[in-house]
Amino acid sequence: MANNNEGDSGEDPNRGMTGGTPTAGDAEPIQAHKPGWRSRMVPYFLIAPALIYLAMFFAYPMFQGLMLAIFDDDAALVLVDEPSLDGDEIERLTQGTRLNILGRQGNLLTDQSDATDLLTEQWFLVSGEAADGSEVSGWTFEARVRVRDEAADGTPVGGTIRPRLGAGADEATPLLAEPNETSDTVAELEQRAPVSIDDIAILEVWFQVQAAEDPSTASGWAPSRFVEVFDDEESGRVDEGSVGEFTTGFISKMFNDSFFSDAWQTTLLLMVLILPLQFVLAMLMALVIDARLKLGSGFLYVFTLPMGMSDLAVGILFFSIFTGNGLLNSILEAFGILDGPKTFLSADTIPWIIFAIVLAELWRATSIVMVIIVSGLQAIPRETLEAAELFGAGYWQRVRHIMLPLLLPSIQVALILRTILAFQVFAVVIALGGGDIVTVLANETFRQYFEFRNNNVASAYALFILLLSMASAFFYLRAVRAQTEVAKT
Amino acid sequence: MSEIRIESVNKSFGDKLAVNDANLTIHEQEFLVLVGPSGCGKTTLLRAIAGLGMADSGRITIGGRDVTYLPPRQRNISMVFQSYAIFPHMTVRDNIGFGLKMNGVDTTEISRRVNDAAELLHIEELLDRRPAAMSGGQRQRVAVARALAMQAEVLLMDEPLSNLDALLRLEMRAELKKLLAEVNATTVYVTHDQIEALSMGDRVAVMKDGVIQQVADPTTVYDRPANKFVGSFIGNPPMNFVDGALERSPGGGPVTVKVGEVSLSPDPSLDSALRTIDGDRVIVGIRAENMEALPDANDGAFAVDVSVVEPLGSQNLLTMDVAGHRMKISTHPSFPVEAGQRLWIRFPGDKIRWVDPNTEAMMYG
Amino acid sequence: MTKTNGMSASAAGQELPPLDSPEVVALHSKMKRRNRRGRVFTYVSAVVIALWILVPIFFVFSMAFTTEDTVRSYPKNFLPFVPFSTETMSFFLSSEGVLRGLANSVIVAVITLVLSTVIAVPAGYAVARYLFPGRDLFRLAVLAVRAFPIVVLSIPLAVLFLRAGLFDSVFSLALMHTALALPTTILVVSSVFASVPYELEEAGQVFGATPLQSFRYIVAPMVLPGIAASGLFTFVLSWNEVFAASVLTLENRTLPALVLTSLSNSSDAFQFAGGFFLMVPSIIFMFFIRKYLFNMWGQVSK
Repeated sequence: MANNNEGDSGEDPNRGMTGGTPTAGDAEPIQAHKPGWRSRMVPYFLIAPALIYLAMFFAYPMFQGLMLAIFDDDAALVLVDEPSLDGDEIERLTQGTRLNILGRQGNLLTDQSDATDLLTEQWFLVSGEAADGSEVSGWTFEARVRVRDEAADGTPVGGTIRPRLGAGADEATPLLAEPNETSDTVAELEQRAPVSIDDIAILEVWFQVQAAEDPSTASGWAPSRFVEVFDDEESGRVDEGSVGEFTTGFISKMFNDSFFSDAWQTTLLLMVLILPLQFVLAMLMALVIDARLKLGSGFLYVFTLPMGMSDLAVGILFFSIFTGNGLLNSILEAFGILDGPKTFLSADTIPWIIFAIVLAELWRATSIVMVIIVSGLQAIPRETLEAAELFGAGYWQRVRHIMLPLLLPSIQVALILRTILAFQVFAVVIALGGGDIVTVLANETFRQYFEFRNNNVASAYALFILLLSMASAFFYLRAVRAQTEVAKT
Repeated sequence: MSEIRIESVNKSFGDKLAVNDANLTIHEQEFLVLVGPSGCGKTTLLRAIAGLGMADSGRITIGGRDVTYLPPRQRNISMVFQSYAIFPHMTVRDNIGFGLKMNGVDTTEISRRVNDAAELLHIEELLDRRPAAMSGGQRQRVAVARALAMQAEVLLMDEPLSNLDALLRLEMRAELKKLLAEVNATTVYVTHDQIEALSMGDRVAVMKDGVIQQVADPTTVYDRPANKFVGSFIGNPPMNFVDGALERSPGGGPVTVKVGEVSLSPDPSLDSALRTIDGDRVIVGIRAENMEALPDANDGAFAVDVSVVEPLGSQNLLTMDVAGHRMKISTHPSFPVEAGQRLWIRFPGDKIRWVDPNTEAMMYG
Repeated sequence: MTKTNGMSASAAGQELPPLDSPEVVALHSKMKRRNRRGRVFTYVSAVVIALWILVPIFFVFSMAFTTEDTVRSYPKNFLPFVPFSTETMSFFLSSEGVLRGLANSVIVAVITLVLSTVIAVPAGYAVARYLFPGRDLFRLAVLAVRAFPIVVLSIPLAVLFLRAGLFDSVFSLALMHTALALPTTILVVSSVFASVPYELEEAGQVFGATPLQSFRYIVAPMVLPGIAASGLFTFVLSWNEVFAASVLTLENRTLPALVLTSLSNSSDAFQFAGGFFLMVPSIIFMFFIRKYLFNMWGQVSK
């Protein structure tokens, strides 16, 4: 009796609304018959594009989103022992630390593409006739040369050495081996000597700094781009970090955000109000569809219409009903319940806004639950229900004792799906609640990004939504399993 | 108290008349088998009795009570479904007790009756298990136990053995027959398997195209089928039919029937019936085991060439042409025969059945 | 003998009145009516639910096709489409950015449809046809990915696109929408392929077709309607998507993003006409894909 077939479908040609359409899992997958690695690899070739795509546009952004929320790209400024990228780290200062500026020096900028935003100095490679009449060449600071000739594009090509001012004004200007003050002097040029400018080096200014409030810390060098210099030119603060660090800063910023508690409370409130009503309504709709009425496929079409609609469209739909000169007021007045239009959607009528959102979400998202439940109902063999009927169960007893227990897996799926979607309620809330009167988590994510331009806090919100989604999915999986366990004992 | 009476019941699905003017009385504690090919309306009729698909018109009474349009739970019936329809989320115990619970029987009584039913079906050790991992045979027993626990006056069975494999079916058939003899319920048993029908029923009702063709005890249905269809549907191999030419002697002498070269003489009691047949044709029916096969030429026997010999162990089944009709005849295994051999076949007069070709009804004296 | 709930219990043996007697006819028709009561209740429920869904749609449609004065008026006229006018509609279509937004929406949705179908068909076929190590893992990953919130994905993608210089382009939005649609498309396509028995393909090969030919001539015609339905579903998904569209675009708004970001400073007429355009594709497409809905969602619970 190993191979007894169940024959549940029996003489039941009408089962299923789907008629001739295929149902999932009709044909079992088969092992590729042909031997050899080439045919064994076929399925992997087939799924490769999807895998690569999902890795690129799902896994990687997910990882980036996580990083945005918990990793601060410019958390600290590293001070090094010499004004060079090769210098060794001697101190780390957090963003905003007050600084004393002890010295400055240029350092050749390897990547000149973003030089315009930086504090830089230019050095010229000049050549000219020295006092002894020999032709000499070397680097000198831009300020030492008065540019007199420019190429068509404005590049300086020639000039004269500036006279020095003040003490030692008559001294010659040294030419250096490299565009660096510490490098060796290779020659000297008299003042006003004509020179040609053969090359230009752009140097980024580095500051030697020390934490102002804590003189015990070591002083060190840092590129000027990370330092905000105050007017006195001798003090400043760490404007931007040079290295990233993991931080809980964005997350705590989210928690301390003035809209945060409103957002998550409203999100939860909506969920608590919507989900139970939604499942009752979806169950009723599913039972109506399952009753296979004449015109059944027409009813199915109407019942599933909202499934294809965007939350924004539904928001507008219900806005049209609840707005001051909308359908609801018109009806209420036509029936003499109101004398004039009542304002439903304002900061003073938040319960009405919540009510409107609940209705809109019921309207919009019940269809998907219904479809899942109807699929589940169709998987219940008709004879099982008939057996219950024959053994004395009335309609609602059949719903209670047979349908609901057998629908548990479908309900679980629908619950997970709906809860995850409930955390993302967004456009409906904006359309009905204006985006600030009533706010939800997804709306705050959007605002942090769109209004406050804070990607990190926006990502923290997104991460929070993700964690809530995963937690609730986990909770449902456990709860329904527990239910099944209870039923088993 | 629990006689089931079906009067002029009609039921159609769209244009298709599934049950056509069914009239049938099932006596108290009788075991009636509804048999017929698939699509003949037997299940539809059973469902009308069960209340799962109400009749369009007519009346069904159970124990004198008009239940035609009552919901199933008010009919005091019980049923075994073809697919068993065990509730997958309940233990066997809850399955068997489900009907009692729905009918408000108190828990001690439920547990007593569940245990009794389980004992009857030898499934006590399964009581706390779930159906998911059970074999078809075990599910079948649960389904029967669930039906019996109701102790209803009427027990309906919709092809309960059709989902079992052949060996198990044979075993369950006998066990079920013995069991049902003990429970004293009026039983309506639907099957498409004529052997099941003959072996189990007190009476057999044969259906075709929504019409009940014959209701009688198994022997009668087999020996004296009401019409050509019953003859060919009941019995394996089916009854053989061959055309015969009616020869009504004008002088009022006995009617003879000529099949091929052979002249057959029907019983004189059929004379008048045969004379009234419209046309000169009559169909001669005879069962495979009722023909005599003779190795040598014989008067009044058909000379035939055996085309196929099928040894079945207890008998040999021979296929041959008789007067242009393919026939099957069974012979004892000891009778020597091989394909291509010439034989002589004789129709014993009392075993021949005469069919009016216009109505296909069989004529009996 | 559990229950004797008699409608017209008569003592055993007592003859019942004949079938065509008035009392039997009356009793039967009374009982038939009683049995139909539940059915009537179901029809009433069906109609009530259908009205609950249809009335708001109808109202917005009638607002989208009337004069701007009517949209502003109060109390509202309950006669739909009175007065009928294309004023609201032409105002909406002539508003700045609307035509471009419509075009953008169509472009994004079409790219998404093509891209996700092209990627999902081989993957769906592999899942439906081959047993390979990692198949279940792949299915599970796809299922899990489908459940991920759009919100979570949009911000980092916006940052990444910004870095890559792809920000504010319809193409990058289509890439995002494809990522959103791909899991569902893979699952639906695989269930469509699973509904075509492999024996048919094998039969084709037995009779001399190459695997590719038997796919082309046997499988492809059978799965085409299902794949078309999943394509329509993808189109609607992209057409409706508003969060990612608002985050990833600035100048190149799609219609939903445009309507969303101008909600607070646009007239009711603009919103209703916008709502109309947002709803129309789904209303048309749902008609064609409704047969496949149970495939799409039915298998999830298995």
